[in-house]
Amino acid sequence: MVNATKGLFISCDVPMAQFIINMNASLPASQKFIIHILDDTHMFVQPHVAEMIRSGISDFRKQNSYEKPT
Amino acid sequence: MPQVKIIAKNFMDMVSSLPAMKLDKLYENAFICEAILRSLQPLAKKYVLQMLYIDTLVAAKLMEEWVLPDWFSKHRVALDRLLQLRIFTETVDRKKEKMYRINSTFQKNLQKLLVHGEVLPREPMPPNTVRLPSLEDLEAYALAQWEFFLLQLISSNQAERSSSISSAMLKVFKRGLLSQRDKEAPKLTESGFQFLLMDTNAQLWYIIREYISNSEERGVDSADLISFLLELSFHVTGEAYNLNTLNDVQRITIKDLADLGLVKLQQGRKESWFIPTKLVTNLSASLTDSSSRKQGFVVVETNFRMYAYSTSKLLCEILQQFASLEYQLPNLIVSAITKDSIYNAFEKGITADQIISFLQQNAHPRVALRIPSVPENVTDQIRLWESDRNRVEITPAHYYDEFPSREVFEAACDCAREWNGLLWEDSKKMRMVVKAEAHMHVREYLRRQK
Repeated sequence: MVNATKGLFISCDVPMAQFIINMNASLPASQKFIIHILDDTHMFVQPHVAEMIRSGISDFRKQNSYEKPT
Repeated sequence: MPQVKIIAKNFMDMVSSLPAMKLDKLYENAFICEAILRSLQPLAKKYVLQMLYIDTLVAAKLMEEWVLPDWFSKHRVALDRLLQLRIFTETVDRKKEKMYRINSTFQKNLQKLLVHGEVLPREPMPPNTVRLPSLEDLEAYALAQWEFFLLQLISSNQAERSSSISSAMLKVFKRGLLSQRDKEAPKLTESGFQFLLMDTNAQLWYIIREYISNSEERGVDSADLISFLLELSFHVTGEAYNLNTLNDVQRITIKDLADLGLVKLQQGRKESWFIPTKLVTNLSASLTDSSSRKQGFVVVETNFRMYAYSTSKLLCEILQQFASLEYQLPNLIVSAITKDSIYNAFEKGITADQIISFLQQNAHPRVALRIPSVPENVTDQIRLWESDRNRVEITPAHYYDEFPSREVFEAACDCAREWNGLLWEDSKKMRMVVKAEAHMHVREYLRRQK
């Protein structure tokens, strides 16, 4: 019997995928959101986490960019 | 990625999208016929002239012989355009042969034009009765008026000179470009920002298009409005025309146009008159005319600093959409392009390409000669910042697994592909991901298979 699951499909580059996997691993078991890791650059996650992932990435980007000392 | 929603098409595309009834009515106006003839591609123009004095049907086969076989595609394009504009009408005779004939009203008007030349419905007023502004003054007036209008769009709290723009005009723009929530100051929408970065002609065209498409609500027939606008575009820049020659509807329209700087209204002791400016006479001409481009004023340095030699408040507002202001001197605006400022712009829906093309189009003459006019490291960085934002793509989807057999799996994949919804598949383990939009179709399909 074919089984269908609702969720979000994420397509990104390898480092970003690792970042998301790490984000998932740091959460307690009840909040884990990755349903399937499809391959290096694709994964399938719970439908409600889009905003969380986006904000996590933008925080990461902020930490990661050089700011000219004033 | 946000798509550019505003397409600055030209006047003729708008005309050709009118219903047949309206078009036939439009062709009663000789100016429209002339403007349309001007707007056609060379081959279509030639066909019209060739058919100008032919009253009978011409077989499609005969027309095909007018061109060499190599250029047949151009012939098709020209004919399609003429049919679309209803200049040519197609009929099929008893032998199932296609025949074309030229629209008789259009034909008559063009014939008249050829014999008599163009006659404006109103004569310019004799120069000794009115004091005419010089052409430079007029152009400065038009640009100032246009800029004031745009400034009002960006920051509607600019109470200076208090809102002189009529409510009808403002309503037109609020629709697409501004969004207003209750008790909040109106804000520009995504397309509003994109609109600001377009060049003047494209902006003007956009506004006019909105104005025309809203005309029915104001109780003005759009065909009347179009013919009046085209008529205006045949008037001579800088000549005065008496307002008495217009009917009521046209007079209201003229007032709206004056707010935009398309015409200048003046009042004498007894009479009042209007003077068309360059903006209105460019209206029917091809709108991407580069000769009318303003001189640039922006210098971008490799250290991401941007110097804009301009006194314009409008420009200052536009620059602030994607750069952070550092100093403002009377004739110079110094700003910096930073990551934050660019990200702000992205959030408003402006794309990197739009920012870059804005900078390139407005490059100061000193740097415009250099190639590239905007330093490569700056353009690259802006593009990189944009792609950095889009590194992760998230799509609502459904995940399928546990297919009973390979055939079912393959068939389901094909079905999803047909709906353009297959995001990912793994044929070894028989798993696939389908876009949320296509889920219903695939589910239906699998159900029917059982």
